[in-house]
Amino acid sequence: MSITFKKVEHVYSENTPFSYHALKGVDLNIKTGSMTALIGHTGSGKSTLIQHINALLLPTSGEIQIEDVMITATNKPESLKPLRKKAGLVFQFPEYQLFEETILKDIIFGPKNFGIEESEAEIIAKKVLKLVGLDESYLEKSPFDLSGGQKRRVAIAGILAMDPDILILDEPTAGLDPQGAKEMLNLFKKINRSGKTIIIVSHDMNQVLEYCDDVIVMSNGKVERHESVDEIFKETEYLSSLSIDLPTITSFILQLNKHGFKIDSSIKDVDQLVKEIGGQL
Amino acid sequence: MNGMMLGRYLPMDSFIHRLDPRLKIGSLLLLLISVFFDAGFIGYGILGIFVIVLVILSKMKLSQVVKSIKPMIFMMIFLMFFNLLFIQKGTLLLSLGFLKIYDQALIQTAYIFIRLILIIIMTTILTATTKPLDLTLGIEHLLSPFKKIGFPTHEVAMMISIALRFIPTLLEETQRIMKAQASRGVEFSEGSLKEKIMSIVSLIIPLFISAFQRAEDLANAMESRNYNPEAKRTRYKQLIWKVSDTISFVCVCAVCAGIVTLSIVL
Repeated sequence: MSITFKKVEHVYSENTPFSYHALKGVDLNIKTGSMTALIGHTGSGKSTLIQHINALLLPTSGEIQIEDVMITATNKPESLKPLRKKAGLVFQFPEYQLFEETILKDIIFGPKNFGIEESEAEIIAKKVLKLVGLDESYLEKSPFDLSGGQKRRVAIAGILAMDPDILILDEPTAGLDPQGAKEMLNLFKKINRSGKTIIIVSHDMNQVLEYCDDVIVMSNGKVERHESVDEIFKETEYLSSLSIDLPTITSFILQLNKHGFKIDSSIKDVDQLVKEIGGQL
Repeated sequence: MNGMMLGRYLPMDSFIHRLDPRLKIGSLLLLLISVFFDAGFIGYGILGIFVIVLVILSKMKLSQVVKSIKPMIFMMIFLMFFNLLFIQKGTLLLSLGFLKIYDQALIQTAYIFIRLILIIIMTTILTATTKPLDLTLGIEHLLSPFKKIGFPTHEVAMMISIALRFIPTLLEETQRIMKAQASRGVEFSEGSLKEKIMSIVSLIIPLFISAFQRAEDLANAMESRNYNPEAKRTRYKQLIWKVSDTISFVCVCAVCAGIVTLSIVL
């Protein structure tokens, strides 16, 4: 029971002058319950890949298995609706998807679409709003009166309210202040600990190191690496060839080691690093 | 939405692509006017052949031409239906209770059908072979004589170019919001009428909000760079009238003159 991609190809606007080959033979297996970071440059195919997981895009060829659902090029769109509930996708800047008069109505919009009773959905709404760090007084406010960061929280709450088994987030912390970003990531980690699979597109390697278990590196429509966080940040040359920066702490350790220290570069925690340096002085 | 052909520029290199935008806009106007001259089926035959030649010269594929007509089909059927029923001239061909179809109605409806198809294809040729910026440049040039009577040529051209510039952006935005709402369980193609209205609302409101937001951002960006519509400006891109433009213009004029003569003679 996991997410499996087999030889997935995706071509946008096939057979037109605008044709664009976005995914080239992607093979992938994401374990249930993992928290995976998806990294790579703009245009490397990250967004295309994640839109296959909840079947917003169908593969041009190849197949994708999400738990017991199989997605191929010939699937009928209506057979894939249950998948939208199973895999919740939060787009970049999701605040633009808000449209209802009140925050409550906006959060229960998703659950209602999947056939959950209004009264039950309202209970869920109160719960998820608390999860994203807003209190119940917000329920009757208009989402358009909120600040950007609060809108983002409400939009994410709208997806969480659908209770997806797989949560996919496309740069959820872009444009948030550091404190807000940290709160968001802690929330995702908490959701991950409750047994949900999380896939997160990120450009911030510090976040990747701190919060994720595995890393998928995409380049030119291909999955080039799929390894644990510890493994990937050892490949300094490969990452610099893609001009992906190392996490601050990792590059600091590497600098220290150049000057005679012998510190394990997989240390993620500042306190532990301080102890380690103290021991070697 | 990706299959939208209407108003889309097709980046290619053809005889029509290379023509001066002023010529193309002017020719389109002349041809549009001549479409409305009643030159009978012979006239439409000539125009039809001319349009086919233009399509071939512009290197457009047949599938692209068909795609450009597709979005208008519903409107065309609607128009044709009412024409068939409400024109009551000539001899009665068919009578089904209150439905009466006359032979004149049939001919008039065929005319309307041909006219609409011709208009759509002609317009598509213009937009498919001319970059939006060239198009506005052409419009600005063609309107420049009206500057003398105080017509705000530059402002109008600027408005058109901004509108054209934002068509792809708004389409992209539409697609983005549709996907975001589809992720929340909205089905845009299915459901009862009530569900359909709800799904459209969930698309339109975010779209309007972001469009207004963009308009405000653009206005601020222009103002912060001290945009002044009355300022004298030069252009990087200059329009150059070539011999091929003159020849093309003569051809278009000849066809249009032919149609007008035919309509007078008939």
